Amino acid sequence: MRRKLLDILCCPVCKGELTLNVVEENDVEIVEGSLRCGTCRVEYPIIDGIPNLLPPEAEDS
Amino acid sequence: MEQSQIFDDYVEMYDRWYDEHPRIYQSEVSALEHFVPWYGTGLEVGVGTARFAAPLHIEYGIDPSPEMAHLAAQREITAVIGRGECIPFCDNTFDFVLMATVICFVQDLEKAILESARVLKFQGTLILAFIDRESPLGTEYRCDAESSVFFRHAKFHTLDEVRNVLTAAKFTQQEVIQTVFEEYGSKPSGFVVIRGIKEGKKAP
Repeated sequence: MRRKLLDILCCPVCKGELTLNVVEENDVEIVEGSLRCGTCRVEYPIIDGIPNLLPPEAEDS
Repeated sequence: MEQSQIFDDYVEMYDRWYDEHPRIYQSEVSALEHFVPWYGTGLEVGVGTARFAAPLHIEYGIDPSPEMAHLAAQREITAVIGRGECIPFCDNTFDFVLMATVICFVQDLEKAILESARVLKFQGTLILAFIDRESPLGTEYRCDAESSVFFRHAKFHTLDEVRNVLTAAKFTQQEVIQTVFEEYGSKPSGFVVIRGIKEGKKAP
């Protein structure tokens, strides 16, 4: 994901801000990393450049 | 099995359908072009493999299936893995939101429509495309549903049901168009596109 995407993303559950953690980034985008919601205490992965913001209950079902 | 898992497992079959049915596909894109604005920032909820988002130049898409989202990204869509019932975008972000042949797979339609309303700007446009349950096409889909990996668990809606959900979510200026296929005697086939406008004063 490109960094500018963070400006319009929010937590899928509480709609609060997300904190970005970068593991791998190239000239274009963040390839691996995570987005953390401090309120919900949930970490959402970024894999192959795509953030996975499925809420925890949806991933468990 | 989770619905998104089915789309993960059969992503190539899903995507191939559009190449195998070019006439139907093109008629659906043409119907959507009638309501999808050519300007502004757009989101497709349930973007799939971006078969609609790409020709309609929609910038953003969400889908619960990671495989679908990855294929959409290859078609130059900014893809996010997510659900229509809990859209991971901020309030008042988009000029328009499209949900094309998706609402039959949504677990909670009312919640998904309210979420679309939340991420739309005031006076933004919501466009829904779906197969009307009571139409010739809807009847055909329901009869064949058991043999379809995709439609086995689908819940089809009537136009009146969808109108009521949009009205409850305070979408105004509703307009409807339908595609027509010769197979159905030039009557409306059942691929319905409805648009509504989010109430409220547009930001200057």
